[in-house]
Amino acid sequence: MLVYYLIISFLIGVGTAFNRNQTVRIVLLALFMMVQTSVTIFAYLHLNTDDLVYFKYDALGVIFMCVLTLLSFTTIFHSHIYLRHRRDDSRSQSLYFAALIMLIVAMTCAYLASHIGLMWVFIELTTLSVAALIYHERTSLALEATWKYVFVCSIGITITFIGIILLSFGMGVTVQIDFSFKALQEQLLLVNSSWLKLAFLFIIVGFCTKMGLFPMHTAAIDAHTAAPPPISAFISTTLMNVGFVAIFRTYSLFANTAIQSWMNQVLLWCGLISIIVSAAYLLTVKHLKRMSAYSSIEHMGLTAIGLASGGIGYFAAIFHMILHSFVKASVFYQIDQFHRNFGTYMIGETGNYFNRNRAGGMVFLLALVGIIAMPPSGLFVTEFWIFKAMFASSHFVFLILALLFLSVCIYILAKNFLYILFNQTKNLIPAEEKTAASETWSQYFLLALLFYFGINPPVQMIQLIEEAVKNLP
Amino acid sequence: MINILLITFAISLIYMGIANRLSTVINILAVQGIILFGVSLIELIQINTINLIFILFETIVFKTIAIPIFLNNVIKKNNIVREAEPFVPDFASIVIITGILLGSFILSNIINVEHVRKMFFIVAISALFTGLFIIISRKKVVTHIMGYLVIENGVFILSLSAGSTMPMLVNTGITLDIFVSVLVLGIFVNRIGNTFEEMNVDHLTNLKD
Amino acid sequence: MRGLGVILIIFTSFFFTGIVFRTKSIFSGRKGPGIFQPMKDIWRLFQKGNVYSETSSFIFRIAPNIYFASVVIALMLIPFGDQKGIFSFTGDFVFFAYILAVGKFFNIIGALDTGSSFEGMGASREALYSLLAEPAFFILMGSFALLTGYTSFYDIFSSIHFGSSISYAIGALASFVFVLIAMIENSRMPVDDPATHLELTMVHEVMILDNSGFDLGLIFYATHLKFAMYGAIIANLFLTPGKEWFYSIPIFIAMQILFAIVVGTFESFMARFRMSHNPQFIFALTSISLLIFLTVLLIVGKFL
Repeated sequence: MLVYYLIISFLIGVGTAFNRNQTVRIVLLALFMMVQTSVTIFAYLHLNTDDLVYFKYDALGVIFMCVLTLLSFTTIFHSHIYLRHRRDDSRSQSLYFAALIMLIVAMTCAYLASHIGLMWVFIELTTLSVAALIYHERTSLALEATWKYVFVCSIGITITFIGIILLSFGMGVTVQIDFSFKALQEQLLLVNSSWLKLAFLFIIVGFCTKMGLFPMHTAAIDAHTAAPPPISAFISTTLMNVGFVAIFRTYSLFANTAIQSWMNQVLLWCGLISIIVSAAYLLTVKHLKRMSAYSSIEHMGLTAIGLASGGIGYFAAIFHMILHSFVKASVFYQIDQFHRNFGTYMIGETGNYFNRNRAGGMVFLLALVGIIAMPPSGLFVTEFWIFKAMFASSHFVFLILALLFLSVCIYILAKNFLYILFNQTKNLIPAEEKTAASETWSQYFLLALLFYFGINPPVQMIQLIEEAVKNLP
Repeated sequence: MINILLITFAISLIYMGIANRLSTVINILAVQGIILFGVSLIELIQINTINLIFILFETIVFKTIAIPIFLNNVIKKNNIVREAEPFVPDFASIVIITGILLGSFILSNIINVEHVRKMFFIVAISALFTGLFIIISRKKVVTHIMGYLVIENGVFILSLSAGSTMPMLVNTGITLDIFVSVLVLGIFVNRIGNTFEEMNVDHLTNLKD
Repeated sequence: MRGLGVILIIFTSFFFTGIVFRTKSIFSGRKGPGIFQPMKDIWRLFQKGNVYSETSSFIFRIAPNIYFASVVIALMLIPFGDQKGIFSFTGDFVFFAYILAVGKFFNIIGALDTGSSFEGMGASREALYSLLAEPAFFILMGSFALLTGYTSFYDIFSSIHFGSSISYAIGALASFVFVLIAMIENSRMPVDDPATHLELTMVHEVMILDNSGFDLGLIFYATHLKFAMYGAIIANLFLTPGKEWFYSIPIFIAMQILFAIVVGTFESFMARFRMSHNPQFIFALTSISLLIFLTVLLIVGKFL
């Protein structure tokens, strides 16, 4: 099945790149989404089977694939609106969608790869396709962001490669090593622990670039600020999920060896410092998309802490990533409308959004509730579980510091969102074009999913997540 | 013989620390390509011929000839001033590079490398950190790329030390090299040269709070 | 006989600098002065009287003498192939470095004594370069000591065997570093240009601006002796023991002439570095000798 998927998507991608007709483009995209959905359903039905030697439909990959497919629908929908309003010429639109298709395919394969080298290759491919997308607006700001992103990600991916080589050294070079995750896990128990630590450190630093954790968070921030809003939505959610899947797989690879408590320490520190960094930057932020990017970093930090705390933390970490994808995507989609309404992203120059665009303002209000993890939101449940896991594993100092800096982040987010929604002290230029309320249906849908999953998550999802964490200690 | 080549590689890293002009750094990169050619020839003589020819071809053509020519073209086309402008004074940079060499030596002793020759490990790790240091301490975008190429060379050495039993690893490393170099160098550097007049990192500071 | 080395070094010092000048002239297309011309200059200076400025004290009068004396003492430590130097004891290379440093110290304070700011500037530069070159020398000798297990010049040089290819590499690299240290210590290119008299760029020349007559002759001759002495140390690396002394002498003289030609060639083809560039260049020598040290550690198998 995966062979067909790859071939068909490749053909569709090439077709989209060269096509200039609008209707043909819509048809091709619809075709691609059908293929994508069918692969997702196929993967769900054939859980835990291998395909094409190096791919496996395991539970973790399938969950995130479902999220990816759902968000691809909304992203393509919003990309159309965005491109139509920008009145781009047909050639750049074709390139945009071709790169988007390549990105979706690369991410799907990265989720499903069961061989560490192959996963690494596909993550590299995502970097390349995202670069083309971030540069879409062709301003000098976009160029700067693309350059930084490509460069930092290249360095990160090289460091991961070094980690993989070190891993193979630790296992001895006398025999051909099978790099699939299953085989690696058994062989790792025999390796010297200082090798394991070194290899783990290098691999994690590389993947932190993708996920946006402490040492390498800078790439993500600039990219999310300068990219077109639908792309920001996409990469702030699904691409960070790819990083999370990579880190999760690495973690479970090393989980039963002697270095597990050391690994937990490393992840705890990375997560905590990410939260501190985002709190520090949030205090002075003035650009709306940048603020959302920092909030993503903070949530990634929380997820890393959850992963490192063990127990219910594993479950909570995966669940947190899924729900965060929903809410962050809706925030970024709405920011696109916001931008069309005001013409700027700067928080200080806007206000009174609630009255100018009732539907959109409502989205922001609900998204605010969602992202700061107030009770009807599902994020409340997952953050509660993460804190419970931290308490249960006796990381009290980390718990206190995380709560402290999280409060700072919540304060800033609430302050800024309420400012843009309700501030009526300025005379603002009225909007040039009215944004239709129908554009917000996707965001309401995602927010509804967020709130519903918090209260009553579907059984199949719970089963999948439990399946994914069952091998961890 | 390999040890001599690796020591020469380490000396080239030291020399890169004190190099002032951009063309000197490019020449050092070309010399490093030749050294890697020699090392891969000696190390990998046992693997099958096609693979060997591919690897040798890549080192000579890509690292020694194509990339230096390309970098020279970029420098000429964008009229980049030919001095590397460092943030850190030159004296401190050579002290730091010496410190890196010493540090990787100590690290290799702590880790207690059994399976891989120590010399390879030390030189590779030093190349990695020296490349990172060059990226951090220089202002020009072109020197960032040169630092990245030094990191690539270090990765290549590391993968060579296991190369005779796992040629796939070396191949993947080369693919990474080609891919990223072509993309990064080929597309973006020229764009940056067209958009900004002077390719300094100072100009790339507009994205901030 | 134990004094053979000293006699040979004094003998080669007569024509060493002359060969350097001659090589430089030939490369510039001129015929150049005779090989013994520097010695004739020194002889001429010895016959002149001294002029001492009124602002200088007794230090200025004794400094050249102490400098010359230190070089002569250091000379007596150098072994020659099979025979020890006149003095030879454990750790004598440390004594060697420091007796030269005593001479240099007196040179420096003699220059400061004149009260001229030019000489002070030259003295400070000279002090800096010696400071930076010293670790290189010590680490190099230290790696040799580690390799052979002895700490005296004679013992080290008599027990170096060049067996494996890597020890050849170390030997070649060490001689390269040593040649550069020699050129720095003797104030030649690329660190200092002996022919320039622009105040901004002089290092060693400026320290001796105020000396005249017999003192100047002493200082010049001490420089020649130092050069020949460094050449003798390098030649020792290649004079393995056991050869009869009538083979060693021609090899020694040939090595010295070769060294002089190499120095002349270096000087003809390299421009002097920018002043601010010099410290890092000299420090780079320390880095390279550190690299040699680490390689020796790897060979010997002693780790931390």
